Amino acid sequence: MSDTAPRNPVSAPQMLADALLRSVAGTTALLRVTGANTDTSQSEVGLVATTFEDVVVSPVVMRKLRPTWKEGGESKYELLVSATSVETQINALDIGSAQALFALTLAVTVDGKDYLIESIASSEAFGAPYLYRLLLREAGQQAI
Amino acid sequence: MQNAKDSFYMALRTRLATINPERTILVRGAVRPGILVEEAEAPFSQIPSDVFVLRWQGLGVDVDLASTLVAEECEILYQTFGTQSFGGLDRGRLLSAMDEELVAMLQPFYTPKLNYGSTPPAAMLTQVFWDEPGFTASVTLRDRLSRSAKVLVYSYQEQGE
Repeated sequence: MSDTAPRNPVSAPQMLADALLRSVAGTTALLRVTGANTDTSQSEVGLVATTFEDVVVSPVVMRKLRPTWKEGGESKYELLVSATSVETQINALDIGSAQALFALTLAVTVDGKDYLIESIASSEAFGAPYLYRLLLREAGQQAI
Repeated sequence: MQNAKDSFYMALRTRLATINPERTILVRGAVRPGILVEEAEAPFSQIPSDVFVLRWQGLGVDVDLASTLVAEECEILYQTFGTQSFGGLDRGRLLSAMDEELVAMLQPFYTPKLNYGSTPPAAMLTQVFWDEPGFTASVTLRDRLSRSAKVLVYSYQEQGE
């Protein structure tokens, strides 16, 4: 639901969020996005990997969440992502929304390590997101 | 056993597309019939609703036969929240509809075994067959209604498998 107050939407919240992310040593994250399937029967049974593309988003800030140790459990992280960067990639890839982009994302790579997306939230001002929060956990896939 | 697992999934997928073409899911940018194999997709924290999810579990092998018989247990999970226009009040009806679709999908209880490693898939000599599903009681968690069914899927090991 958008804010109906008589104020003109400006990009100040987005610029402020980007400045804050950069000021706390913002880095770059790669979203490993899958292409649309062409050979459905083989890709549906895990036989042929679909095409992947690394989508760059920056600035982002990653922080480890409060450690709650559990046998066999992976650490969890929170990735704060610039909404302007996501918006740029949505337009470049011609994807409908940020949710669609994250739905296509198989893994997030930060500093060479892969993470899986657990949940997604966004912070909004004037009806437009200025920051996305991705809850991540470490991926256990084999490097080939 | 992988060929049997693939053939079982593809049989159910094809049958679902005929039984209820409107039950679809958008996965990796492609619209597919509303059934997927959990181990062949990106991990999800919660199974998607209004689709069937195949989870492969137990495994048994009988080697005291002319051909080795392999049995693998498949759990088919599904859940629904109802529809938004009904305020979720139709979730019981939707779960019943999924129950019926699953029973229809599993019949007949056999399908030809194909090797999906080649293009086009190569027909093998034997068939994959399974027994009747064992349904669990439905589980209610707030507005979510879920159920699972377990099916034992059998196949004979062929040369090269």
